[in-house]
Parts: sequence; C-alpha cells; structure tokens
Amino acid sequence: MMKIINSVLFFLVIFGVPAAYFILPKQKISVDEKRKLAVIPKFDYKSYINGKWADSVDAFVDDHFPMRDQVIRYATAVQTYKGFELAHAEKIVVVKKKHNDREQHAEVLDTGSLQYLNNFEEDYSGSMLIIDGCVYPMGGGSPAASKYFSKMVSEYAKELKGETRVFTAVAPLSSAFIPVEKYKKYNTQNKKTLLAIRDNLTDGAIFSDVFNELNLHSDQKLFFGTDHHWKPIGAYYGYVAFCKAAGFDAVPLENMEKRVKYNFLGTMYQHTQDPSVKAHPDTMEYWVPKVATTAERFREAGFDHPRKTKVFYKSSSGGNTYSTFLGGDEPLIHINTTIKNGKKAVVIKNSMGNAFAVFLVSHYEDIWVVDLRYSKHNLLDLVRKNKIDDMIFAVGMNAAMGRGAVNMMRNLGKQSGVYVPKPKVVQQPSDTTNTVKKTPTDSIP
Amino acid sequence: MVFSSLTFLYLFLPLSLVFHYSTRNDFFRNLALTIFSLIFYAWAEPMWIFLMIFTAFFDYSTALFIEKNRRKIGAKAGLIFSIIVNISLLIAYKYGGFIYDNISLLVQLPFERPKNSLPVGISFYTFMVISYVVDVYRGDTKAQRNPLNFLMFISLFQHLVAGPIVRYSQIAEQVNHREINWSKVSEGVSRFCFGLFKKVVIANVAGVLVEKYLVTNLYDLSSYEGWFGITLFSIQLYFDFSGYSDMAIGLAKLFGFDFDENFRHPYAAISVADFYRRWHISLGRFFRDYVYIPLGGNRKYQDRNILIVWFLTGFWHGANWNFALWGTYFGVLMVLEKHLKPVLDVTPRILKHSYTLVLIVFSRAIFYFVDFEQLNYFVWNLFSSKHAISDGFLTDITTHTYWFVLVILLCIPWDEIFTEESRFRQKLAFSYSFVQPMMNVAMLLLATILLVNSTFNPFLYTRF
Repeated sequence: MMKIINSVLFFLVIFGVPAAYFILPKQKISVDEKRKLAVIPKFDYKSYINGKWADSVDAFVDDHFPMRDQVIRYATAVQTYKGFELAHAEKIVVVKKKHNDREQHAEVLDTGSLQYLNNFEEDYSGSMLIIDGCVYPMGGGSPAASKYFSKMVSEYAKELKGETRVFTAVAPLSSAFIPVEKYKKYNTQNKKTLLAIRDNLTDGAIFSDVFNELNLHSDQKLFFGTDHHWKPIGAYYGYVAFCKAAGFDAVPLENMEKRVKYNFLGTMYQHTQDPSVKAHPDTMEYWVPKVATTAERFREAGFDHPRKTKVFYKSSSGGNTYSTFLGGDEPLIHINTTIKNGKKAVVIKNSMGNAFAVFLVSHYEDIWVVDLRYSKHNLLDLVRKNKIDDMIFAVGMNAAMGRGAVNMMRNLGKQSGVYVPKPKVVQQPSDTTNTVKKTPTDSIP
Repeated sequence: MVFSSLTFLYLFLPLSLVFHYSTRNDFFRNLALTIFSLIFYAWAEPMWIFLMIFTAFFDYSTALFIEKNRRKIGAKAGLIFSIIVNISLLIAYKYGGFIYDNISLLVQLPFERPKNSLPVGISFYTFMVISYVVDVYRGDTKAQRNPLNFLMFISLFQHLVAGPIVRYSQIAEQVNHREINWSKVSEGVSRFCFGLFKKVVIANVAGVLVEKYLVTNLYDLSSYEGWFGITLFSIQLYFDFSGYSDMAIGLAKLFGFDFDENFRHPYAAISVADFYRRWHISLGRFFRDYVYIPLGGNRKYQDRNILIVWFLTGFWHGANWNFALWGTYFGVLMVLEKHLKPVLDVTPRILKHSYTLVLIVFSRAIFYFVDFEQLNYFVWNLFSSKHAISDGFLTDITTHTYWFVLVILLCIPWDEIFTEESRFRQKLAFSYSFVQPMMNVAMLLLATILLVNSTFNPFLYTRF
C-alpha cells in the first residue's frame, strides 16, 4: 500500500505542476527581477540545430513555473538553513551574471509609459562583500583603465573649446566607504582611480572632485546597502563637488523639500538574494529642489512625438525606488525649469547620474539628459543646436573603467542620430538578443 | 537536457511516462522510449544525434555479422573492425583537438584544428557498444535482432549522457520486454528523488563554493582555503555523479529496467583500490573485463597492466594531460598498495581510511585544473605557509555548518554498518516506509524550488 502511495504522490507532483501552469493566471513580467518573462518560443530549424530553441524552452519553463516569485522567495529562505551566521559576520558572495540564455530569451523591460528599469550592470558581478546586510563590490577601479575615459572627455573638450565647458562628475564605488578599517584599502583605490581621471584630462576639461566631497562626509551612509547606486545624499555631495568646479553655489539641503521612501530592496539584493540583505532594506531620503519643472522624454532617436515625463516620480516604490529620479533610464530627456538665466546643460549619464542630474534644475533653464547606452541622438549636434553651456559626464566609476562604455560615450558625438529599429523578434528566440535594450557588446554601468 | 532541470521534471518526464504507460505493447513502448530518448539527446546538441544513431546501427549490424560467423575468422575480423571504428570515432571527436595541439608542438600541420565540440555522452555509449560487440563475440550474450530495440538500448535517456555504462547482457531481456509493478515504480521514485536531492541540495551548493574558492579567488587562497576548496570539489564531484547515477537507476526502474549500482559509499574506503571498487563501478568493470584481464590481469605483468588501465582511465575522463597525470597517479598508488599489502594489512583501519581520503582529495586538484600552471600554483599553495585566511572564510563555514553535517551523514556507509540482518535496521526500515512517501515529495519539492531561477546547475560528468 505504501508503495502505491509513494508512487502516486510522486506522479501527483510531476503532473500537478504542469497542470497548475494551465490553471493559474499567467505572469508576463517579473517585478522582482524587473524584466519581461520569456515567451513561448516559435520553432524554427536554425534555432533548433544551434540549440537555442531548446534553451528558449528551458527559459520559458523556468520563467513560467507556477507561483514563481513565491517559489524564489522560498528558495531564498531555504538557503538560510544551511548553517548559521555569526553577528556582524562578513560574507563574500560571488554574484554570477545571469545565464546568457536567460538574457537572450527574456526581454528586458523597455520603454513604456515609465521606464523603470535600472540595469544591473554586469560589471557588478563577481565577488561581493556583505557586512551587516549591506553589499559592497570588492574593488576600487583601476587608475590605468581610467585614462581612456579622460581621453574621451578631453576629445569633447577640444572639439567644443570656446563653446561649451566640459565636466566630469564620476561617482566612486560604494566600496570606498565600507565602515570597517581593514577595507580602507578600497577607499584609497577609489581615490587613486578618480584622481587618475583628473590627471589625464586635457584641453580644459574640468574635473569635479566628487570623491573628496563624499569622503568629507564618510560618516554618513552615502550608498545604498541593497542597491548599486549612491543614495540621494551621496548624489547631493557629488552635485556640491560639481558646483565647486563650475563656480556655482550649491543649494543647501535645507532649502529643498525632503521626502522619504521605505523598504527599498535594490539590485544588490536581487542578485545576491542574501537573507541578511533582505533583512536590511534601504530607506531613501531624497530632496526636491523648490524649482518648478516640466520635462519630456524622447525615443532612441529623433525629436518627434515627445512624451511628458517628470523629474521626480513619487509613485516609484519597492524594487523601483531609485526610479524616483527621472523615472529611470530614458534615451533622452529635456527638462525645462523656471530658472530663467538662459543657461543650458547636457548631462551624459548612466543610471548613477539620475540622482545627480535632478539637483541641476536649480542652476539651469534647460537641461538635456542623455543616457549613454540608449540615445542615438548626435551629442555634438544637440550641444551646438541648443547652444549648451555645460556638458557634464555624470557616470558611475564602472562606466569610466569600461572600454565599451567609454566607446559608447565617444560614439555619441559621431553617431548619425538616426535610430534603426531592431527587428521585433519576440517569437524568434535565436535572435532575441536584438531586442534586449542592453548593448550586447559590453557591460555598461 | 539534464535530469535536474525543470523542463525534464515537469515536461519531459510526465510526457514520456504517459506514452510509456499508456500501452502494454512492447513494440510501442520501445518506440515511444526511443523517440523520447532521441528528443532528450537532441535537446542541446541535435547535430550529434546522427553520430549516435550511426554508431548504434553500425554495431547492431556488426554484432549480427559476428554472431553469424561465430568461430570463423570473420567474427574476429568483425570484432576488430568494430573496435577500430568505435575507438576511431571516439578519438576523432573527443581527442582530435588534443592530438592536433600536441603534434603542432612538434611540426606544423597543413590543416586547421578540428573545431567540433565534444558529442555529449560519446565516452559512455562508445564503451557500451564495445562491451556489447565483445560480449556477442565471446558468446556471453546473443545479438539483438531488432534494430529499434538496439537503438533504444543505446539511446536510453536514463543512461545516455552520463552513464552508468550499462552492459547489454545486463538488461537484454528487459530490452525486449519489461514488467512494471508498483514495487518497482515505488523503488524508482525513491531512488530518483534521493538522487535529485543529492544533486541539487548537496552538489550544487558545493559547486557554488568551489567556483568561489578554485576559480574566482584562486590566487588569493591560503593553504587552508585551498584544502577547503578541493575538499568541496570532492564533495561536489561525488554527489553530482552519484546523484546522477541514482536518478538514472531510479528512472530506469520507472520504465521497467534494472541498472547495476554505480557507487557504494566511496568515501568510506580504506584504500585507493577499495575506493575504486566503490566509485564509478561500471567504468571500473569495463576496464577490468575488457582491458585489464585481456592484458593478463594479475597473472602476468600485473604492475604494467594496472598502470596501462589507469592511464587509459585518466584519458577517458578528458582530452588533456592532467587527466593522464591523474590516471597515472592512481596507477602508481595502486601498484604501491599492492606491494605494501603486508604493511597495510596490519595498519589500523582509521589510518588506512585517513590516508585514502587525503590521497583522494589531493587527486581532485589534478582532476580539476586542466591548466598546468594553475595546477602547479595550487598544489604548491596547498603545502605553503600561506595561512592568512581571507575575509568570509569563517562565514562560509558557519553558514554551511548544517549542510556539512548532512554531507558527512550521507557519506557514511550506514548499510554496511547496519547489515540487512540488523534488527535495528529492520525496525528503522519498517518505520521509515510510512514516512518515505512524504520524504520523497519533500525532497522533490525542495529540489524544485532550488532549481527555479537557479544559475548553477551543471552536471560534471556530462562533459566526459
């Protein structure tokens, strides 16, 4: 009798799970992972022979497992039963890049009314240090690698000499501010990397000493513990450093409206899935300048059909809390302010620059925000046509270290400004890489 | 496709069971099983399916020819021809690049390096067809008359990509007709769930740590961490492969087959020779019956025979010199053990067990690092005075403490300590039979939730 029960129970599970797939409501996106789930792959000979069709089916089955998000949470909980954690234990976890197949077959959430995707940069994979629920990358950049960024910025400075001032405002990594003595080496490494950017700038390009400004306030929590971005307070000190370089008076925080959002579990949690990180969600305090703004966003290329957007999104919450700033990453945003001083700026940024750019509304009448990964607009045309006064490269350190990202920033000044739509291949898994908005050639912070 | 994937568990397996159980007709059962096995094989690398089918039909025909010409010169010629063709295919597809690289060191070759990837399971099914043809030649088994049945035997998804190396003679009757009953199915379910548990809960967890210690942080390791890392790899390798074998044996039972055991608590061994009587038993038997004994076995040139067998065993695992070194390492140890037998016979069991474990764990380094520079660095580091442990080492131990306890418990040969006659075992088995269904479901569900969104799930032995 027990043998029958044993067999029947097993069959109930292996037949019950597929049945549940058909019965339960279908999900199209994973909110936790900020991506569209894989679609049923269409069979074609070529993708079958090269194995991609089978990979697509695997990805689909995995993505549409009944109650998937719940199951992943169970899995995270189960992991804690492998042992115990000592108080204040330091932990090093290896964050792996998502399986390539998954990347290929699942579309990244792209432009909708609100593009709340904050790509977790691949450069953030590798060894991560977890201390008291906060995740830090283990490293501090490379002074040798930073010269390519400086060279690229200097090229723009040379090209725009006499027309536009060119600034850098590069954020360090959170590893610079690990509150444990033995990791001070990362602070030094971050500093060396960023100072190397300064030392390699030529042709009048202006360096904003973001690191030094942040370091003066290292007693505060400048970066999120569960996300790879800086906190708004960190971005504010970055803005202060820029103001010093640009000759502006930074607006004191007291003169802005303070707001708070709670329970933010960002990218670092999503990728480590570490219970101690989950137990320490971030609280995000942010400051809204008392300047009225209007904003519109543009598609990858062209200036037709702009859509309204906002500088601050009150509604962004949960895993998308960081998308409070500019609504996330859009190819091109134009902000118009009530500061009628005639000054214009363009910010070239990755997601790190979002929290920084919002402070500039106190100083410019017009601000263009260009996402180095997605914009196909010609940057030099944009600068010249709009008579931009200041051009600011506001990126995270990993972008300044990455040859791919640097080349993309260089290419912004060369590209045609014409966006060639990539084929819609939702149902052709062998080519779905084309629809992924991330540039496939490199990892870009 | 691998057994520990959601596609297999909740798509392929239910469908294949439906088709298999929906008829009692042997022909249709075998046809369904063959089709599902080919789908399974072709899942990741469809182009290699033709090579496997060619091998099956070639050896099917050769065996018939050998049987027809029994005791004639034609039989021997057929056997030699079959072995040459099978070994040539194995060499061409598995060792082609390796041979090219080594010859290129001496002379410039006028053609490019072969670019083909390793056909999955070629090492396993090549040995299966060789054993089949040799057994037919020796008269140990009759040649299969039905080509479909023979293709099914070779392509059975239960053993195709990572063994065990099943001999035709072992399941010849079941190839033609299989009896399926609740007892067998229940046994298969329990075995499959346990194997899946070993793979997902033990091997995959070990694998994540192995990558961290032996790949990501390789050049920052202290000697302690080096030993820790290589011990973890020993754990991963055992639970990965034995878990796969358990699943294969369990799945075979679900479809009415009985495969022999492939592992028998190897980490309880008290000598290196004992270890390999417990580890990958089907491979050991193949080399014993088809290489070692024909070479003379222990009747003449035993030391030479042992060294040859282990050199070949090493190379069977991969086309790289580290595998040859690994095999030679064990060959030398086996020879030494043979000559030191009088000493070992009086050595306390605990000492014998300890030296075996140390030698086995050390051998994993040779097995793991295909790059000799890395191997050299790692081995020197194991014996260096670099003792400063890195951040997080202690945390890795504490956060896996219960897991380590489970690993040790699963390595202990309980069935050898408590034999079938043991009253304690009988009582325990009786009590456990009542909770076993729930335990199996728990293991299946636990493995499933860990597989959803899992990024680490390779099977180590599928690459051999």
